[in-house]
Order: sequence, then structure tokens, then C-alpha cells
Amino acid sequence: MNREAEGGAGARDRILARIREANGSRETVEHPGTLPAGLEPPVAYGGQRPDPVDALEDRLSAAGGRVVRLSGPDSARRWLEEFAQEFASVSICEGVPELLCPSLPNAQPEQAGLGVSMAVGAAAQTGSLLLSSTEGRRSQLLPPTHLVWVRAQDVHATLGAALEARMGDLPAALALHSGPSKSADIGRIIVTGVHGPGRLVAAVLEESGDW
Amino acid sequence: MEVHSRDYAKRARAILRDTPGVREAVTAATRSFDDHRRSAFAELDGEALRDWAEGVKSHALTHLDRYLEQAESRLMERGAHVHWAETAEDVHRILRELVEREGVRRAVKAKSMLSEEVGVNPLLEAEGVEVFETDLGEYIIQLLGEPPSHIVGPAIHRSLEDTQALFSERLGTATDASPEELAGAARGILREAFLAADLGISGGNFLVAETGSIALIENEGNIRMSTSLPRVHVALVGIEKILPRLADLSTFLQVTSKSATGQPVGTFVSIIQGPGGSRGGEPDGPEELHVVLVDNGRTRLLADPEAWEALRCVRCGACLNICPVYRQTGGHAYGYVYSGPIGAVISPGLVSLEETFPLPFASSLCGACAEVCPVRIPIPHLLHTWRERAVEQGLTEGTARSLMKGWSRAATHPRLFDWIERAMAVLPDGISRRLPMLRDWTRGRSLPRATGPTFREIWKDGIE
Ligand code: SF4
Repeated sequence: MNREAEGGAGARDRILARIREANGSRETVEHPGTLPAGLEPPVAYGGQRPDPVDALEDRLSAAGGRVVRLSGPDSARRWLEEFAQEFASVSICEGVPELLCPSLPNAQPEQAGLGVSMAVGAAAQTGSLLLSSTEGRRSQLLPPTHLVWVRAQDVHATLGAALEARMGDLPAALALHSGPSKSADIGRIIVTGVHGPGRLVAAVLEESGDW
Repeated sequence: MEVHSRDYAKRARAILRDTPGVREAVTAATRSFDDHRRSAFAELDGEALRDWAEGVKSHALTHLDRYLEQAESRLMERGAHVHWAETAEDVHRILRELVEREGVRRAVKAKSMLSEEVGVNPLLEAEGVEVFETDLGEYIIQLLGEPPSHIVGPAIHRSLEDTQALFSERLGTATDASPEELAGAARGILREAFLAADLGISGGNFLVAETGSIALIENEGNIRMSTSLPRVHVALVGIEKILPRLADLSTFLQVTSKSATGQPVGTFVSIIQGPGGSRGGEPDGPEELHVVLVDNGRTRLLADPEAWEALRCVRCGACLNICPVYRQTGGHAYGYVYSGPIGAVISPGLVSLEETFPLPFASSLCGACAEVCPVRIPIPHLLHTWRERAVEQGLTEGTARSLMKGWSRAATHPRLFDWIERAMAVLPDGISRRLPMLRDWTRGRSLPRATGPTFREIWKDGIE
């Protein structure tokens, strides 16, 4: 047991006892159940393109991200080589397939200009890329530009479906990235790249298969 | 945090008189939050969604013991340490022991209202730990030595010019530095702090019982960093933050984000199940995760037959953003970490009615807060409940008079005066009879009662 012994167990029992007493005479409330589909926030941005990949593209772009759609390995490789030209070094998360690693010198995440990771899922409804801590978090967070590969078949319509798909295999930390880092804390003027990456590029691999 | 709520009137007066820019900045910021919330809800069946969200939270609260135990078990299975804290002192003791055992020298903090509530920064500083608030707004107010003015935007009361002056003095930036340059200066300092810190402290927006997940919503990426880079992560989580299932979380993340800023979801969401690094069999991440489940008055609130409903609060700030009284002064007038309508109903429950007594009166009972609350907390009803209790307890005598005095002095603006008069008109009868000043105000006039125009109507064609 990891429960902290020093006075902790007493506090735990006292808190739980107070909760039971507080709720003692209160009528319990039933869980209203799964959110009815009709109440789900809309998937398509502006009610326009309902296809999940289209909607993901529209929502992520609206949040200041960039989405590139690539039809197959050749076009992905060609695009990557050109994209990589503006960077001097890269920090790549574990598990990004060889083919999707730019040919740039590797650097520590805190020094690299570009971080590359592979999403474990995506949600069109919120324009979110799901990232797992199992591939390492530093490359997802420290470089100023973040390139995220995402397979079209992993793009879910709703956030609920995207999380549900990870349910059996939750890492230490799952993260949603839904745009570049931003803040309006200085005079309500939006500034990007405050702490996390100021540029987010999602590269969608449209052809199903092994990447 | 110390409670200064009894001075509400004095503080409100001082803000209105000495820093008139605050009212302008707060009003502009809250209006913009509120506009974004409105557009986000325009594409939803907001009413039905709020019914559902209310149901989930009420269910969680009426089964709170069971769900807390479930969350605890899940977290421990993943190798997290779970602590229970009855009071702020318990949190202090837990942190002090950790600091000593782990030899903590530097801590990075992600915005957490609970950490303000229990006074984490003064404790850590007394232990010789260097503490960095890493949310840009929190960093600004840390430099100023101020508490947050808003639960979502802690520095909304400061203008660009204020921050230019502050950073030029403290960080040596140009007096006319752009927001980008100012943010860049803060980033430089905080990036170094992230990389050198031994301890990261966060709050938690939600705690999912089914999976033991702590969920955190943000826009800057500082929460992800605070919970990923240091060797030890401590999450302070109020016991009321429970959600039963992961399936509930996806909707609550969206409803909270939309209510707070109108975004489909915050730019970054962290969903944390356990320690990372070698402990979690992962390439990086904290080796230790400590989750502190904090009561600090919450079970007392839960035992309250009426005010318990306020524990559904997801801290979205929507009720602050729409509140005409909050907009006048921002959060500092309220004298406690939670301000605005929700602060006025939870502070008396968390602290005591005696110490926070005038807060339930800092409202016109216009009802706007109840209309926007995503979990349907009946705030105006609860304000009224606290007012009646204050009268019953005989708290209203002297303080209500000084409240009146404060407001009347603040009311140099004729239309503001009018607004206050109307606000006071909805005091319980017991009080208005005891207030000579109100009698003076109303002599020869009849006060509008419930049948008169709503406060929002007055507000619309009144002050602005
Ligand atoms: S009371 Fe409701 S509107 Fe106000 S912060 Fe809490 S959840 Fe949001």
C-alpha cells in the first residue's frame, strides 16, 4: 500500500466518515447515463464538413494549427524533406517510424528546433491530437515547433470515442494538443508559443496501412 | 490564504477610487470571455447539456465516498501516492515532509486555486524553496505579490501598460515592449525554472474515479510542463472534483472549456494516471506522483442542506464574467481566493459566514449567474439563503452599515449610485429597515421590488 501512513489514514477515515454523515439523509441522485448523441457538441466546424478528417482539419486550423494531408508514403517523405529544411535539428519521440523521421541532426528536446511525435488518436469534435507519454513527453513540449503524425484511421468523430479507444491501455499521462500554445494574459492580446510549442503541424496519413 | 472578506466594502471602494483602470480592464476581459461562451453555446442544446452535467455532478457528490475510494485504489495500483488532507495545515505537513525527503530546492507551479486557498507558496518559501508560478497571468501577479483576480484569468485586471511597466522594472524589458517580447522574457526565465525544478505542483480540474485520472485544462502548456519535467509531481485535488467515468470526462472537458473561454476544449489537456519515468516504465515524466485529496471545509459544505449544491462547481468563471458587480472591481475586493458569485456562495461555507459575511450581499440577485452556470448551481437562491442566515445570526448590524458607507462613497458616479440603490433594494427586509442610509436614499420613493425591472434590464440601459 502506498497510502501515506503518517497521520494520513486517520485523516482519510475521518473525511470519508464526514462525507457519509453529510450524505446520510440526502436523496441519492442517479447518474443520467451516457450523453445522448443528440446532445454531443457538433463535430463539424461551422456545421460544414462532417467527415472526421475534414472536421479535424477545420477545427485545428481555426485554433491556429496547420494540417497537411498526405496520401501515401512517397508523398509523406517528399513533404517531410521539404518541411524539414527550415530546421537545424530535431528531437524525435520513441516509436515514430523510420520513414517519418526527418533527416536532420538529433538534438536534446530543449535545444531542438523541431519535435516530432506520433499521435495515438485524434478527435475531430475538438480538433485534438492524442499523445501518449509512452513515447516521451519532452519532444512533445520543448521544441518551438511540434510535428505530429496522425493516421486517418485513428481520427474519431467525438472526443469521447477517441478517449474510449485508449481506455484499456492508458499511459502515465495522455495529452490532448488542440493548437499552438497561447496566452491572452498580457492585456488580452493573444501571444503564441508562451511555454509549449508555438507552431503545431498535424500531418495526416490518409492511406491506411502500416506506416 | 488569509481571509479579508469583511473589508469587502472598503476594498471595493479603494479599487474604484485608486485604480479606476481595473474596472475597465475587468469589464473588457469578462465581456470578451462571455461573448465567446455565448457563441460556443449557440451551436448546442445548452439547456439539456446543463441538465446532464448537473446530474452527473450531483450523482458524484451523493456517492462521493465510494468514488473517492475507487479513485484512490486506481491511483495506488499505478504506483501513485495518495494523501488525504483535512485542513490547510495537513497540506503543509505533507508538502514539508516531501520537500525534506526529496531535497526540493526549486518548484514550478501550474495555476491552482486550491494551492492559493491553502497557501502553498508562503509555506514552500518558508522551507527555503524557490517557487515559480508558470502560468503567465500567475507569474505577473506573483511578481506583484497579489492574489488572482479571476479564477480563469488571474491577471485580467492588469492592462498591457501595467505589464510593460512591471516587466521593465523587474525583468529589464523595454518600456514599450510588445506582448510577444514580454511573453518571451517571461518564457526565458520560466523555461530555465522548468528544466531545473525538482518539484511540480498542480491542481486538478477533474478526478475520474473509474481510471484514477487527474485531468487538467490549460492554454499555455505550462501545466503539461509542470507535470512532466520535474522529478516529483504533486497534484492538489479538492475532494469534490470527482467524475464517475472516463466517458463523463470527455463531455466535462468540453463543457468547462466552452463555458470558460468558448473554446471547443482548452489548447492542452493532461490526463494523468500515475508516475512516469522508470517508475512508470516510460522514457521520461515524473518518477513520483503524489495526489493530495483535500477537504479543507468541503465536507462542511457537503453537510449543508442547501449550499452543498455549490460543490458541483467546475470553476469555469462564467458566473464571474457575467456578473455586473464583479465587473466593477474584479476579484480583489472579495478578500478571498474565490470571488464573484461563486465565491460569495462557497466562501461562507468553506471558511465561515462570520469571516466572509458581507460577500453574499455583493450581488444584486439579478440571476444572470444561474443562467450561465453549466452545472446549474442556484447561486441567487444560495445568496439569499446566506443573507437570511446572516440576519438570523445578528451579523448584519455594524457591517452592513459600513458596507453601505463604502458603497455610497464609491458611488460618486451618479449612475453607479443608482445601480447600488437598486442592488440594495433586494436586501432582506430585516436589513433594509436597519440601514439609516438606505432610508435616506429611499425617502419619498418606493423601492422597486421583484415586480420592477430586472437588474439586467437596469444594467443594460443604466451604467454602460
Ligand atoms: S458556479 Fe457555475 S458558472 Fe460559476 S464558476 Fe462554478 S461552474 Fe462556472
